[in-house]
Amino acid sequence: MIKIKHLSVAFDGPEVVKDVSFEIGDGEILGVVGESGSGKSVTALTLMGLVAETATVTTGQIYYDDQLLLEAGKPRNEALYRSYQGRKMSMIFQEPMTSLNPTMKIGPQVEEVLLLHDGKKGGNRKENGAGQGVAGWLSERREEKDRRKNKVLDALRSVGLKDVERLYDCYPHQLSGGMRQRVMIAMAVILHPGLIIADEPTTALDVTIQNQIIDLLRKINQEQKNSLLFITHDLNLARRLCDRILVMQNGRIVEEGETEEVFTAPKGEYTKMLISAVPGRGGKKKSVRSKDAKPLVEVRDLNVFYRENANSLFGKTVKKCVVHHADFEVYEGEILGLVGESGCGKTSLSKAILGLNTMVEGNVTHHSNRPQMVFQDPYGSLNPTKTVGWLLEEPLRAQGALEPSKALTEKDRKAAAHDMLQKVGLGEQYYERRPSQLSGGQRQRISIGQALITRPGLVIADEPVSALDVTIQAQILDLIRRLQEELKTAFLFISHDINVIYQVSDRIMVMKDGNILEIGETEELFRKPKDPYTKELLR
Amino acid sequence: MKKVGGWFRKQNAYFLVGLAMTGLVVVLGILSLFWTPYSTTAMSATERFHAPALKHIFGTDNFGRDIFSRVMQGIGTTVIVSSAIVLISSCAGILIGAVTGYFGGILDEIIMRITDAVNSFPSILLALVVISILGSGKQNVIFSLGIVFTPSYVRIVRSEFIRLRDADFVCRAKLMGVSKLRILFVHILPNIFSVFWVSVTIGFNNAILAESGMSYLGIGVQPPDASLGKMLSDAQGYLGRAPWYALAPGLTIVWIVLGFSLLSEGIRRKQEGQR
Repeated sequence: MIKIKHLSVAFDGPEVVKDVSFEIGDGEILGVVGESGSGKSVTALTLMGLVAETATVTTGQIYYDDQLLLEAGKPRNEALYRSYQGRKMSMIFQEPMTSLNPTMKIGPQVEEVLLLHDGKKGGNRKENGAGQGVAGWLSERREEKDRRKNKVLDALRSVGLKDVERLYDCYPHQLSGGMRQRVMIAMAVILHPGLIIADEPTTALDVTIQNQIIDLLRKINQEQKNSLLFITHDLNLARRLCDRILVMQNGRIVEEGETEEVFTAPKGEYTKMLISAVPGRGGKKKSVRSKDAKPLVEVRDLNVFYRENANSLFGKTVKKCVVHHADFEVYEGEILGLVGESGCGKTSLSKAILGLNTMVEGNVTHHSNRPQMVFQDPYGSLNPTKTVGWLLEEPLRAQGALEPSKALTEKDRKAAAHDMLQKVGLGEQYYERRPSQLSGGQRQRISIGQALITRPGLVIADEPVSALDVTIQAQILDLIRRLQEELKTAFLFISHDINVIYQVSDRIMVMKDGNILEIGETEELFRKPKDPYTKELLR
Repeated sequence: MKKVGGWFRKQNAYFLVGLAMTGLVVVLGILSLFWTPYSTTAMSATERFHAPALKHIFGTDNFGRDIFSRVMQGIGTTVIVSSAIVLISSCAGILIGAVTGYFGGILDEIIMRITDAVNSFPSILLALVVISILGSGKQNVIFSLGIVFTPSYVRIVRSEFIRLRDADFVCRAKLMGVSKLRILFVHILPNIFSVFWVSVTIGFNNAILAESGMSYLGIGVQPPDASLGKMLSDAQGYLGRAPWYALAPGLTIVWIVLGFSLLSEGIRRKQEGQR
């Protein structure tokens, strides 16, 4: 149905998509997988006619049902594209928070798709208006409006939303991320387009919601018989949903084939690496926890609160409890995994343990020196105005200022920073660089080094690999495991991804809605999950 | 020589043009402290209202004084006064803005309402009030305009500190045990440079215009000292007869403001490029 021939796209200079050719059959689900920067999104946007003005198509053609949509060297036919966008092909984006207009109610927003593409409307109005006068024209309009509303409600229902009459009058901010993504899907499928392009539609969602969206996409594909181009960096998702898979790397297609074939017998080196990098349920780390390990941190009956309206003079502050009766301990030299969905209180709990949130009830007892933290966002956690060397030495300077007995000379600090650079797998040549000159993975290495340089007893790692590509993710997990074995630092490792948790943890703690559901040894918890929610996570 | 060439090529055009324009102004201003082509106060009844010519390149004024010499002296006065204003108000702005933005709370509320109050008066009017209490003169102009300009810096610095106080890297600095003072001025402050620098530029230009305006109203620099604003105000009576009298200080103000804007834009771009 869709034919892309030798497509290359460049943004002022180097090509980001190079000689890409593929076809999408009728009713087929084609997956495009690759890491960030592999050109998968640009390919999709070019197909959709939404790629930025600064991009030029240097070679190739795109056909839709044998109709030439785009050809290299010729300007995009905007009128032709507009007639295809929405009606014959539509797109679902990654960010459900920003892809809906926050000032428009859900109903009218979905309805707008109908209004824009209901070509017959103008003609109808003229005929009826002339025949029956203003009253007739008005009633006709009202009927048409009702028809449209029903169609919108049907579409919302078809994507599995409940209580659609109420949703019709809701604003996007009143909906959860998963519901918004369903609304986006409703908008995309309401006109029954032949092709739906889904660009990382589940990346911003929680695991259990992700499963539901995947199921929904498959259901729609079966009911409407349209083709789906599914773009993702998550190989597991692609495997579960797609008929056929393309693997992209640096703008080229490096492998193409039936899904099972690609996963069971990958041909290319890169594909093999990608598949092996996906955190699975094998290759557990070596435990360095001794049998008689003492607790390093004891958390006793801890409630954590969050204050709303905290920053206004006259506003009433409302205390909201986000963690209920947390009671556990972290032992010396172990990695305790904490798994749960966004908003379940993982981060609030960790901040309370570190003393960054003081609105707590209960007790946290530390038996070690200053615990440190590694954050999710590799771009926000390093001060952009400093050099790597400065960043690595700052914890030592701070320690020296607090405890003069531990103060180091400038030379010793530099030596320690160099040593840490080696430990985290970067060379001494990185000493003078700034964070902006580093990749996400390299920054995360520096963050880890910065946390470990004062040899703390405990490090809290809050989703340290979630913002990274799958191959980088595997490297960073490897690094954490290696450093933990070497330094015997205890970690509280937080993640939403149970497979990542499995790979690093000695024990696992499952959290939902502020409650700790269960804590157990990794193997045991995987073999015999007690809580139904844990079972759902393990699916 | 080769080294200098390499240095030049690394700069951007904004920086170079701005540097040249500002440099010329500064050189003239400093030179005026030691030497001017003519005495700035020497009057001559026979040389009144001479049009620009080789002898007096900017012409002469109603007292027969050399306008170029007076512009040179005016540059010195104006640049020193405006720099002092910016220095005072931006330093005060950083201190107050950093503390209120980072710590928040009741102190923040009080200080912000005070700055709101200051902001709600036209700046010249407020400066007039201060001058009427303290009396006119160079120091008092600096002081009063310094107060008037402080709130805008407080606002900018405060909002940046609010933005950054919850940043991950600040959070980590707290965990390392870095002192509050060090977090404020070593960890956060450098991050607001590009935003702050823009406001310094705008503030400097506003200070030049405000100082000129005050002198124009007769409450700034007192005669016989020359200031660009004072010259403009003196020249307005002779606009038809001797337009060069007004044009010379006016165009000089434009030149200074433009040069400094270009220079600071150049510096900002260089900084951004480094990140």
